[in-house]
Amino acid sequence: MKKVLGCLFGAMVLIAAPVFAHHSAVMFDENKEITVKGTVKDFQYTNPHSWLLVDVKNADGSVTTWGFEAEGPSTLTRAGIRKSDFMPGTELSITGHPMRDGRPAASWIKATRGDGKDFDPRNGFAIK
Amino acid sequence: MTCRMSVAILAALVALAGTATAQPTAAQAPSPEKQKMTQLGIDQKTAVGLYNYLKQKANGGQPLTWKTVPDWTGVWTREANPFFWDPDQTSTTSMPTAKLTPPFEKRLREKLDAVNKGIEFDPLSNCEPAGMPRWMVEPFLREWVVTPKETYLVNEMQNEMRRVYTDGRDHPSAADAYPLWEGDSIGFWDGDKLVIHTAQMRAGQYQRIQPYYTEQVETVEIWHKTAADTMSVDIWSYDPPALAEPWYTKQVYKKLSNPDNSLRIRYWDCGENQNNAITKTEEGSSDFTHFTFTDKAEKK
Repeated sequence: MKKVLGCLFGAMVLIAAPVFAHHSAVMFDENKEITVKGTVKDFQYTNPHSWLLVDVKNADGSVTTWGFEAEGPSTLTRAGIRKSDFMPGTELSITGHPMRDGRPAASWIKATRGDGKDFDPRNGFAIK
Repeated sequence: MTCRMSVAILAALVALAGTATAQPTAAQAPSPEKQKMTQLGIDQKTAVGLYNYLKQKANGGQPLTWKTVPDWTGVWTREANPFFWDPDQTSTTSMPTAKLTPPFEKRLREKLDAVNKGIEFDPLSNCEPAGMPRWMVEPFLREWVVTPKETYLVNEMQNEMRRVYTDGRDHPSAADAYPLWEGDSIGFWDGDKLVIHTAQMRAGQYQRIQPYYTEQVETVEIWHKTAADTMSVDIWSYDPPALAEPWYTKQVYKKLSNPDNSLRIRYWDCGENQNNAITKTEEGSSDFTHFTFTDKAEKK
């Protein structure tokens, strides 16, 4: 039971904390989460960080491009996220810790693609 | 998700909430084995003294041949929390396990105070190398390439590769020595263990919320593959201005499952994507320089 609780605690922390091993994450507000729905504009699968750019339609009909930052390709690969998973035009719902200054960017926590498949970039630090 | 995975993720994440560092408390008492290894470092007084002691114990070591090269192949990563130098540190609310000199403890506490206030900048943000000894704890992919006269220890992050000369050469003379990102490493083989002495390193920090080290830092390492998927490294850091006594820790790296060979080390270049540019703010913290995906009006 203790072991199971330990695992659950690990999963809870996974949801709560931001992950940035290359630069500080102080520009993101780890106490807030934002979720947007939109379509993939570009998946910049680059070192040291990747950016998933998502076009989000606003209430007035205009479009804002949001950027969601994650670790680089090898860590995303370890999390089971490949460049081909988010081709331009892919519909998704994506959640992250937003920027403190209100710019349209966030640290990527999780995403659910239009076909229902879930992605968690922070699984990339798991050892398996 | 297995428990092992959960624990590994937990370890990776707890300290990543660097802003959550409360006033740090003293570290827990070390294990008997750790005390023994620490005492060995103290008894030998210097890194050179410890290295020579280990070499003498190994009767000078044994030359490696292509027939006796160990199989250290595969893609590896460090097992512990990437933001703690010592895997025995388990919380951001405890101090690192090093016995620091008063000036360096003061510097560390000042840094942790700033982090608590949300002020943090890592020189690595713009692809400066981590350098040794910090190289040991970065959390990305690694490869070990062993040849009879030289071993290459590769870290994906910042494309950093250490070269360990095992052909019997010594370090450059003191007159010709100068600080290097990875230092200068020489070593010998004691059976299937690689013993390394590294000197000539640049000043830096063991990690973002860890102590600082000076250009006088030297390390002694014993690398030993203890299981098919486990590389164990005993490491002592000597740094008289910063450390009141040698800092002994055991670092563990795990071989990753890679059945489809999708895990590959790729080159790191902070200029590859403009959205990765980080600025040090006036108050000493971190911010993105600009985004190329926002409208012009939204760019800083």
